[in-house]
Formats: sequence, structure tokens, C-alpha cells
Amino acid sequence: MDSREMVIAKLAEWDIVPSEEDLAELVPAYEALLKSQKVLESMLRTRSMGNAMEFPLSEPAVIHDMGRYR
Amino acid sequence: MASTAQELAFSSIEALSARIQRKEISPVEVTQTMLSRIDELNPKIHAYYTVFHDEVLEDARRAEQEIARGNYRGPLHGIPMGIKDIYEMKRTTCGSQALQEYAAEEDCVAIKKLKDAGSLILGKTATYEFAYGIQSLKSPVEPVRSAWDLSREAGGSSSGSGGAIAAGMAYSAMGSCTGGSIRWPAQCLLHVGLKATYGRVSRRGIYPLAWTLDHPGPLARTVKDSALVLQALAGYDELDPASANVPVPDFTAKLDRDIRGMRIGLLADLYEKSCDPKVLEVYDKAVDKYRSLGAEIVKVPSIGISELEAIEWPTLWSEAAAIHVRNIRNRGDQYNPNTRQFIQWGLLVSNAYYMLASRCRAQVRDDLNAALTRDCDVLMLPTAGFQGPPPVAEESPGLNFIGSAFEIYTPIFNFTGHPAIQVPCGFDSDGLAVGFQIAAKPFDEATMFQVARAYEQSEPWHTMHADI
Repeated sequence: MDSREMVIAKLAEWDIVPSEEDLAELVPAYEALLKSQKVLESMLRTRSMGNAMEFPLSEPAVIHDMGRYR
Repeated sequence: MASTAQELAFSSIEALSARIQRKEISPVEVTQTMLSRIDELNPKIHAYYTVFHDEVLEDARRAEQEIARGNYRGPLHGIPMGIKDIYEMKRTTCGSQALQEYAAEEDCVAIKKLKDAGSLILGKTATYEFAYGIQSLKSPVEPVRSAWDLSREAGGSSSGSGGAIAAGMAYSAMGSCTGGSIRWPAQCLLHVGLKATYGRVSRRGIYPLAWTLDHPGPLARTVKDSALVLQALAGYDELDPASANVPVPDFTAKLDRDIRGMRIGLLADLYEKSCDPKVLEVYDKAVDKYRSLGAEIVKVPSIGISELEAIEWPTLWSEAAAIHVRNIRNRGDQYNPNTRQFIQWGLLVSNAYYMLASRCRAQVRDDLNAALTRDCDVLMLPTAGFQGPPPVAEESPGLNFIGSAFEIYTPIFNFTGHPAIQVPCGFDSDGLAVGFQIAAKPFDEATMFQVARAYEQSEPWHTMHADI
């Protein structure tokens, strides 16, 4: 599948049919998203957080606990 | 006298509140000045969607009577403010055709707190649709214009709030920030823009853009004015799941303290290679000023701009998509086409991507916390690496910024949650305003204000305003 077909298929999962005007914007934006995905993967490879045993501290709410950084 | 009216319109809250407390000037006179300017200038600036002429004058008379009786509530008593139109209060459109008929049943928490502090709500200010970040001429709403140059936008998404202050039509105004929507227009207009620590200010009753990134906060003329507004806003709200149950200190306590010996950490890896040289030249002078004030400047390792973008934008738009997907499906034609496309783009982000971004985000947050604990007292970096505000565009930028150079450095503190403030630092060689950010440890806004204020008071920028 090329990017255009991927965009159409992914939006179909949500019962959304993009217009041609939408697709003209979405297809290059989707390709940029795939490049960003590689950037994130690189971040993981180069950092200790690649260790999947660590809990995913993904919520900024835990920022409230500063004590553990000292 | 015209000069007196001009001085009054562009006063700081700090100066004006002292006059109100001493009964040298009445909140009614102040409010009438604001309303007159709005009547005259809003047709050019487009900062306000709705102005509460009668209600705010009634509130001003009540404030006048309270103060006359000796019931002075504090520095916001009798101070007129604007409110971004995503905060629930009466008609709340979020800048969208989809919500033109929506009227809130009650005020949101932030507005209740501002009213309790005595501030007077002038009206609801313009926003990019649902606070999303790129203006579009396809919007039925006129773009907000900069009072410094009417051919340019005010920046956004809190464009009306910034535009109102820049034109002397409010003393402060509330914005919201998911990626930079307070600090960016503040830079464009030579204002201070504040995003407190995630969880410091209740979001309840403010229309979300992205739950884990949204921060309410004020735009204002000075650092101290920002601290005074935050003092009214801050506090635990058990009905906001992100609200932090932490003490609220006196945010002005350290404002006039010396910064000699304090360590300022530059996030140079994020901006050095990508920042426009014209912007960097002005920013570097601000760094030098800090050196001359006795601060120690150190470099702190950080992510680069491509990593920032890879975390921020897909996170933002996948969360926004979760909020809007049903409406996009059922009445997408009521959305600005660019908003609709952004939301559709958010639906293309896989759940694995979102989790990767969340883990990277946590790592960046931990790295900055470690730096702020071991290496420096505050962090510093430019607000944006490009010149602004842009001219009012003839064509919408659409989604083109994705994957292209879009060097805005504000989102790092949206996804880490650190408090951050934009401070104006002059004009570049083309006459466009430049600003920088100071960020601090979570919930240490007082130190952030201290360092920001030290620079502000050493330069004239906060005393300048557009001649309008």
C-alpha cells in the first residue's frame, strides 16, 4: 500500500472518508509522521530507557515527586 | 489628556493596583477607559469576540464600593481582564462554527478564582479554532492583528488575549498553552507569557486541546503582573485529575532578590543549530546581560528540535483526535478545514507511536529534572527560532509545517510539565520582537519569576508599547 492508500485505510477504521482536499494535506503529513517514528526509535536505542522493564512513566502528573531525583 | 489616557491604558497591574488601593483612581474609570478603547480599536485588532459592557461596568461599580468600604481584596481587585474564548463563561465558541450556539451554564474554575480576587472580566478573546496552532484564512473569523503592525498577526493560539493587551484593551488576559500558545503570542507582542507547572492551575471548564499537554495561564505586561495573576489562579482542584495537591507559596516572595551566583542552564542543543541568526543575536545579548548581573551560565545537554517535534506534535494531535473524532465524523464541515485535517492526522498516529512518545517524553522530563537538581537553578532558551509574528497570510499554511523547519522551542515544557515564562528581550534587526524562556523545577515558579524579573528590570522592554 502506498501512503495515500494507508491514509484512506486508517481513516476508514474511524468511518471517516477524507476529501481530496484533506488527502492533499494528509499524505505528506503521514509520511512525515513515519520519519518522526524513526526519530523516536533512535531516542530509545541511544538511551537507557530502552530497557522495557522500566515502568512507562508517561504521565506528567508524576512530576510532582521531585524527591526521587535527589 | 490623551497622554494620561494612554498611560492608564498601558499601565502594569502592579502600578494600577497601587493607585486603586489608594483610591486615586476608581475601577469604574479604569473599566470605562478599557471599554472606550475596545469600542475604538477592536474593529481593527479583532481581539474580542464578546464584550460584557453592562456587566463589567456593574462589577466595577461593586468593586469601587467594596474598596471604598475598606474591603480591598488584593492586587487584582478592580483590574479588567480578558478571557480566551475556550474558558467556559457565558457564550463560549472556542473560535469554531461548530460551537456558535454554546453557552456555558457556569463559569470555569479559573474565572471563578479571578472573580474572587476581584478582577473584572471585560469579555471573551479570540482564539484559533479549539486553540489549535496555525491560523487560517479559511476561518470565518478575522485574524487578530498586532497593535505593533496591523499587517501582521498577533501570534496564537491565544491571539485575542495577546492582541488585547498589546492594544491597551486589557491589563492581563488568560490564554491556554498546549505547545506554546501563550508564550508565542507573548513573544510576538513584547509581553510576558506564563505557563505554570502542570497541575498548578485547574483546567476544569476549559475546553481541552490535548489533556496531558494543556496548561492555562496569563499573558501580561510584566513578570510581577504574571505572578500576581498566578497567585489568584493557583490551587488544588479535586475535580481536575491532573491538579496537584501542593502548597501555594507567595509567588512574589523572591522577586526582588539578587541573582548573583545563580546558575542558568542553556538548552543549547535544542536551539543552537536551528535558531535564526537574527533571533540568536538578540537572545545572546540577554544571556550576556545575565552574566553581567552575576549569574553563572552553564550548558545543559538536551534533545534536538527533531526529537522535540517527534514527541510533541503526534502526542498533541492524537489526544485532540480522541476529543474531536465523533464531531469530525458527524459534522466535519463545520470545522475549519485545517483543524479537521489536523484531527484526521491525529487518527493516523498508532498507539505504539503514542507510547514511544510518552516514554521519550518521560525521559526528557527526568533529564531536565536531574539537570535542575544537580547543574543549574533554572533553564534558559529562546522562545522560538524564527521571526514573528507572521504577516496576515493570503493562503493557509495547512499541515505543511509538519516535517519542515518549525523551530518553536516552547513545547518541551508542555510535555515535561515544567513551569516556563516568556520574557521579552528586544527587537531583531528587522524590528520584530524577540523573547526567551526561563524554566524552573516543578512548582518552583518563585525562582523562575525571580530570574525573569532580574533581567526585565535591567532593560526597558517592559515599559514599551505600541503607539495605538
